[in-house]
Amino acid sequence: MPATDYQASFLGRISIRRNQVIAMDGNHEQELQDLELFSKHVSERFAELLSSPDDVPFDALLSISWLRKLLDFFLCCEAEFKGILMMGNDPSQISKPPLDRLIPEFLDRSVKALDVCNAVTNGLESVRHYQKLAEIVVSALEQKPIGDGQSRRAKKALTSLISAMNVDDKECSAAKATERSWSFSRRGVSSKDRVPEHFRSVSNHVAKNWSAAKQIQAMTNNLVPPRGAEGSGLASPVYTMSVIMVFVMWALVAAIPCQERNGLSAIHFPAPKQLNWAQSIIGLHEKIGEEWKKKEKKGTAGLLDEMQKMEKLGNILMDFTDSFQFHGDITDQKAEEAAAHAAELAEPCRRMEEGLLPLQMQIREVFHRIVKTRTELLNALDQVGKSSPPLL
Amino acid sequence: MDGCRSGVPTYEGDLHVVAAAHHIVKALGATKNLSDDLRKILIDLDSHLSMITSNIDSKGGRGLVDVEERLDQAERKIMRWETDPMMIWDSGPKEASDYLEAVDETGKLVDGLRGLSVHENRKQKEILHRAMNIFQTAMSRLEEELIHILVRHGQQFEPKNMYSRSIRKDIVYDESFVSVEDEPTKETSSQNCSNDESGECIVDLVHADVIPDIKSIAKVMFTSNYGPEFCEAFISVQKEALEQYFSFLGTEYLSIEDVLKMEWTCLSSKMNKWTWSMKIIVRVYLASEKQLCDQVLGGLGSVSSYCFLEISKATILCLLNFGEAVAMGPHRPEKLLRLLDMYETLADLLRDIDTLFSEEAGSFIQLQFHELLERLGESAIAAFKAFRVAISSNGSLYPFAGGGVHPLNKYVMNYIRMFPEYWNTLNLLLKNQHPGVADQVTKPDYGPDTSLLTSCPMAYHLRSITSCLESNLHKKSQLYKDEALQHIFLMNNIHYLVQKVKGSELRLFFGDEWIRKHNAMFQQHAMNYERATWSSVVSFLKDNNPGSSSMSKSTFKERCKGFSIAFEEVYKTQTSWSIPDPQLREDLRISTSLKVVLAYRTFLGRNLAYTDDKCVKHTVEHVENSLLDLFGGSSRSLRNSRRW
Repeated sequence: MPATDYQASFLGRISIRRNQVIAMDGNHEQELQDLELFSKHVSERFAELLSSPDDVPFDALLSISWLRKLLDFFLCCEAEFKGILMMGNDPSQISKPPLDRLIPEFLDRSVKALDVCNAVTNGLESVRHYQKLAEIVVSALEQKPIGDGQSRRAKKALTSLISAMNVDDKECSAAKATERSWSFSRRGVSSKDRVPEHFRSVSNHVAKNWSAAKQIQAMTNNLVPPRGAEGSGLASPVYTMSVIMVFVMWALVAAIPCQERNGLSAIHFPAPKQLNWAQSIIGLHEKIGEEWKKKEKKGTAGLLDEMQKMEKLGNILMDFTDSFQFHGDITDQKAEEAAAHAAELAEPCRRMEEGLLPLQMQIREVFHRIVKTRTELLNALDQVGKSSPPLL
Repeated sequence: MDGCRSGVPTYEGDLHVVAAAHHIVKALGATKNLSDDLRKILIDLDSHLSMITSNIDSKGGRGLVDVEERLDQAERKIMRWETDPMMIWDSGPKEASDYLEAVDETGKLVDGLRGLSVHENRKQKEILHRAMNIFQTAMSRLEEELIHILVRHGQQFEPKNMYSRSIRKDIVYDESFVSVEDEPTKETSSQNCSNDESGECIVDLVHADVIPDIKSIAKVMFTSNYGPEFCEAFISVQKEALEQYFSFLGTEYLSIEDVLKMEWTCLSSKMNKWTWSMKIIVRVYLASEKQLCDQVLGGLGSVSSYCFLEISKATILCLLNFGEAVAMGPHRPEKLLRLLDMYETLADLLRDIDTLFSEEAGSFIQLQFHELLERLGESAIAAFKAFRVAISSNGSLYPFAGGGVHPLNKYVMNYIRMFPEYWNTLNLLLKNQHPGVADQVTKPDYGPDTSLLTSCPMAYHLRSITSCLESNLHKKSQLYKDEALQHIFLMNNIHYLVQKVKGSELRLFFGDEWIRKHNAMFQQHAMNYERATWSSVVSFLKDNNPGSSSMSKSTFKERCKGFSIAFEEVYKTQTSWSIPDPQLREDLRISTSLKVVLAYRTFLGRNLAYTDDKCVKHTVEHVENSLLDLFGGSSRSLRNSRRW
């Protein structure tokens, strides 16, 4: 959904209501309406994400296009949130309780989200590498007739692909610390196509000991739904936006290779079900969490739909190349099956080719947006409370 | 093509035709400026023709036997290396070229057999599969050889010789001003780093001798459709080499959270290091990497720039992220110079970046650079403003003992003395800040002889900073109860300000008029001091009736006593005051001496009749000498010590 869409409807509704309402406290009334609209939009957007059909591969949960939609919605919600917070009639509100506590906490969360964005951007480099390996598999197996040569070529790329995807999070941070050797141990060679060790696993452009899971866990610190009277004020959009931010970062980390993700599924979102807008987020959280639990034990590069397809087809094709090597030849039927699988593998490759760079750019956009809002909020706090001690 | 395949020709005539065609293809293939597609077609054609020739030669049926023989030969050459622990390219150029020849031969046979295999000839198919198998072994081997060559002949270069490390003097802003010392003026060694950097500095990341080897491997892998394997191997090794170099520079990966929490001294050194690493990475390393990619992969369309982007992207983003983190951090005044360093470095590198990442896929990186530059500029301006705020809000509860040069003054002046080095950047950033204001304020003050420098935005801001400082110093002077000490304090401080301006490039921005005005100002304070301190003392020595010859003895005694007490009092207080500048101290003593000693001598001279009396406590010489003790910074007393 393009940003202009919601803006038009957002503003439209405001003007209509303005004409209708003759309230005693116009400002407060207006604010309540804005808040209501905000949570309505949040709820609508995430409901759309939740209802993504699994059978339509293009829009499947955690596919590249789904993630892009998620980020789009994040940007929309963020813009709306900022509007409510900063363009209110009384800017000094943000320096009064409870916001004087909630805003710094929110900013702290924002900074943590930035590091997640960077880790994920870095993880996309690995995904890019998987794509290239899968493309080699496709191009080896689409040749006809399939012979031992192509089968071996495919197998070599598949071995790299599958081992790269199975590198568990811890290993990839440890591998970096020691100097990798490119040796192929040429003596006593048994396999014909040696795959170098640690062939470009997740390269670690993230701080040592940084953990994605812990980072997200830390983002949920102090994140509690506003209670009592706070629930009707600005505390509630701060809370809503926080939950959205944590969820989006959590989903990105689940989907894309990242450093240290142990315990990701255990992260609990303190979003009560009775809040309308939260229901779809909770639904998504449960759905993705289940998926993650299934994969976590085995060790996975991530839940990105395209990557999972790659993994599945990769394993099938690996079996095929194994049996090819074992039997020396293959029946026509098997060869056709393999060709069909290879063609199927070409599909996620194509979507990665089209989507990865835009996704990376969008994550960067999210990054810049978070930075910008943070700066604006800090400036606003600075303006309002010149006398209070400066905030980081 | 079908014509070629439609059967194995047996006529002599065909042989000639094929030979002629082969000749033409070879000749065409030798042409240099061929497009990749065309070259590929020619290579294909070439292998078809060799196949046909071999078939014709062998009179039809025996063709395959010949093909098999050729394959056997190639296979022996290729497979023998599979059991050899040595790497081929390490073994010598002959071995390498033999190997490449065998690979080439196998490739031709594969292509040829593929062209012929329409005929469902079982034997033919078998040979094709065998050939392709051998071919895969060779390709896999070439990939290994490539990685081996890149790793073995990869070269690291010493960054030390590249750019001097400490480009500018480190100044640490300390809120408490305790550690701020008045450092002697050390002119920085390398003023403008862009001078020695303008020349492209390219090194061989991989030894130049092996570039042809890598190229030959690239050539054969790309023509055989193994380009993706080549790229992945090449990118992997080079990417890792860059990462290693990155850590070799001592640059580490820091999370944004870490940067925001970092202590200033640590952050300051990291900012310095960033500036330094950024230059080396972009201008030397990446420029060299780009050259390597072009050398090896030039002529293969966008492959070179694709590989370059994949190799460098992660490291670049990492460097950019540190910049973003710094720009996000609290805008403390002490950050200003470091931020300006970073800004200038980046601005300076933009052209390089735009060239390195000129392709469409690289525009993402370009954009990130431009965004960061903007952010750093904003951050520098914010730090600049914070600097001013810090100056005007620096408050004191107690008067600064002795009335000497206040640490705030020292700090500010030593800090802004660095500004002229950044004047281009500061002008650029400040101009956008206050459009119009600068024009208004500067011109009327500085009349017709306004030089370009005194009317630039930085000059305006510099003067506004010092006037901020001056008013703060005035505020601080009010803390002294003694009016004379207020003047000493202001005299000292304004004198210091002027000296700092005169003694550095700042004078160009402040202008002569400003200096004249401020010279007059501290001189005024000196005069005010004299009046405040000495008028009352000297008034004892004044002749109230200029007409009469002398005063009565009792009046003389009374005057003498009054003078002594007042003088001793001044002596006691003002020996503890301080005038750090020796010249200024000397000047003030002389002018005081002129006034006081002269008056005293006249007074005594006019009343010579009484001077032997005990009531004359101090001789003229004594007064003159005592005046030398003033402003020494430690309190003394005259009362109990009669020195003669």
